[in-house]
Amino acid sequence: MFSISSEAKVGLFVLVGLIVLGYMSFQVGQRGFTFKRGYMVEVEFDNAAGLSHDAAVQIAGVEVGRVEKIRLKNGKALVTLRLPAEVKLEKDVTAAIKTHGILGDKYIEILPGTQGGAYLQAGESISRVERQADVDRLLNQLASIADDVKMVSSSLSKVMGGKTGEDSIGAILENTRLLTKNLNAVVVNNEATLRAMLENTKQLTGNLNRVVVQNDDKINQVIESLRGASSQMEKTFTSLNDITDGIRRGEGTVGQLVKDKGMADRLNKTMASLQEVSDKINKGQGTLGKLVNDDETVNNLNQTLGGINKFVNKSDQFRTFISYRGEYLTEKSDAKSYLDLRIQPRQDYFYLLGLVTDPRGRRTVKDITPEGGTTTQITEWDKSGLLFNAQIGKRYQDFVIRGGVFESTGGAGLDFMSFKDRLKLTFEAFDFAADRNAHLKAGGELRLLKNIYLNAGWDDFINKSNQSPYVGVSLRFEDDDLKYLLTSVPIPTK
Amino acid sequence: MRLLAAIFDSLGKSVLHAVEEMGRIILLFLSVLSWMVRPPWRLRNIFKQMEFVGVRSIFVVVLTGMFTGMVMALQGYHGFRMFSAESMVGSAVALGMTRELGPVLTSLMVTARAGSAMAAELGTMKVTEQIDALYVMAANPVQYLIVPRVIAGVIMVPFLTVISDFVGILGGYFVGVQILNINSGIFIKNITKMVELNDIYNGLIKAACFGLILSLVGCYKGFNTSGGAEGVGRATTEAVVLASITILISDYFLTALMF
Repeated sequence: MFSISSEAKVGLFVLVGLIVLGYMSFQVGQRGFTFKRGYMVEVEFDNAAGLSHDAAVQIAGVEVGRVEKIRLKNGKALVTLRLPAEVKLEKDVTAAIKTHGILGDKYIEILPGTQGGAYLQAGESISRVERQADVDRLLNQLASIADDVKMVSSSLSKVMGGKTGEDSIGAILENTRLLTKNLNAVVVNNEATLRAMLENTKQLTGNLNRVVVQNDDKINQVIESLRGASSQMEKTFTSLNDITDGIRRGEGTVGQLVKDKGMADRLNKTMASLQEVSDKINKGQGTLGKLVNDDETVNNLNQTLGGINKFVNKSDQFRTFISYRGEYLTEKSDAKSYLDLRIQPRQDYFYLLGLVTDPRGRRTVKDITPEGGTTTQITEWDKSGLLFNAQIGKRYQDFVIRGGVFESTGGAGLDFMSFKDRLKLTFEAFDFAADRNAHLKAGGELRLLKNIYLNAGWDDFINKSNQSPYVGVSLRFEDDDLKYLLTSVPIPTK
Repeated sequence: MRLLAAIFDSLGKSVLHAVEEMGRIILLFLSVLSWMVRPPWRLRNIFKQMEFVGVRSIFVVVLTGMFTGMVMALQGYHGFRMFSAESMVGSAVALGMTRELGPVLTSLMVTARAGSAMAAELGTMKVTEQIDALYVMAANPVQYLIVPRVIAGVIMVPFLTVISDFVGILGGYFVGVQILNINSGIFIKNITKMVELNDIYNGLIKAACFGLILSLVGCYKGFNTSGGAEGVGRATTEAVVLASITILISDYFLTALMF
């Protein structure tokens, strides 16, 4: 087996030892030779008690440096702090000595200054120092308080103590003693008198008692005579009764007044005629009676009120709209105009009357029958002819069904309202005839402003010759004057 | 009267003997110093002694250091728990090991192991007149035998102490953190916070002094052995006892001097 030489063993051992030593040194030696770097600043404390060399310097609880040395300067503790170069302190930082840990280790806390200010350079001093809550100082103050208290007590003792104070207090006590003594003497000396007073009082009550006992009979007599008096009073009441009886029987003036027959008759008559009047009124006789008793009057009144009510209601519900709609037919480069009056007696119900100008014009069909010949139909388009709309409409929820005359022909339409009536999708079918397709129209209307609407759609889209998309604008406003005009004309309502 | 005289006589003799012995040891130390700087330097001899004193003592020292650290952690814990400062156990162990227990226990162990061996070896050489033979060969026995041992002691004991310190702190960490559930971060932070570099280096200076003492005393006792095998045994015992006592006493004065 290869044997390792002593030199190698020793060398290895020394190496291991050096490594361990180096490791421990680096772990422990955050100061010492490894960390003698950074810069120093100074700070003066009134009292650096408990602060030691190598005590921590903290900012916000983070240790940033150590106390390098502490020495005395002009009666104050001049503490030199070593801080690493990367920790910069503003000029207006505040230093304070604080305590932490159960063992009360002292450390220096640095409170940051204004951000962005100039920084302290090496060797400069921290000018602002927070005075610590010093127990010694506190005790000193307590001591001075104790001195004050002592002064008070000593002045008190000067007043109270000493020969004069003692004498005066002694005199006071002596006087008090004499006073009580005299009081006692008074009581003692007058004991007999007092006793006599009490005796007299006793005799007085005894006498009183005797008086009452001796006069027992006399008191009884007084009560007896009182009873007699009351029986007399009973008699007086009886005679009073007699007097009122006389009055009741008509004796004397008062009696006559009460018992006079004629007077009662007159009263009765008045009452009776009053009764008669009210009866008459009740029966409907006379003007007032008629007025009150006639059912017709009430009915009239009711009707009138009802009418007023209805009128008011109706004109409330009644709305009329006038609208103009221009549709530009893109295929024909021409426009179709609508002028509509929409009368809406109720919310869900309306009439529509309107005039339409169609660039195609108005179709007229004429039967021409030559003499003896067969009848032929001639269809003519009168370009200046107006077309008419006359429709009734009813609304169910969001759907409106319309029927009647569409552009001078019979037809029907369906509208779908959505977005709180802002958008209307409409479909109309009219001009039904056996020999050609019906006129169908589909479109939409969007409310842009309060009175302005945009229209777009496709007119007559199943007839190739006449079909055209359209865009248009419509103006629509509510006409109040027309409304009142119309409501005063009788209109059959449902 | 004679009894009294006898008492004083023996007392004076022992005191005189002790003083005499101390003087001799110091003289030996001076001669070691003087021979140390004179060639030839027998490096092989020195390395051999270093291996014997240092390398072969590692096991004993590691064992001692580790258990010392562990038991300190255990004891310290109960003490510190009374005022809720369990986290201070780490720094207590580290400070105790580096300042005191590391150097002292290491040098005591080395005394027991190597110091005794030195006394026995040199004592045997003395009684078997090998040392006289060295004189005959014109080789100074102090230079040939004692200088390497002293150098080995002075150099090796501090290194053993470093190992002992480290292992002791590890033992304390193991007990504190693993068994007693002290927060490991705070444990280590307190060590690095409380222990200073000077604690370690002063401990090592002490260790070097102890190394000098144990090797010097061991060599002295061996060098002055008389009376055959029995004398060798006595010299060994005396060497260990004297070295240990001297180490402990000088430890106090060194500590007072340094800290």
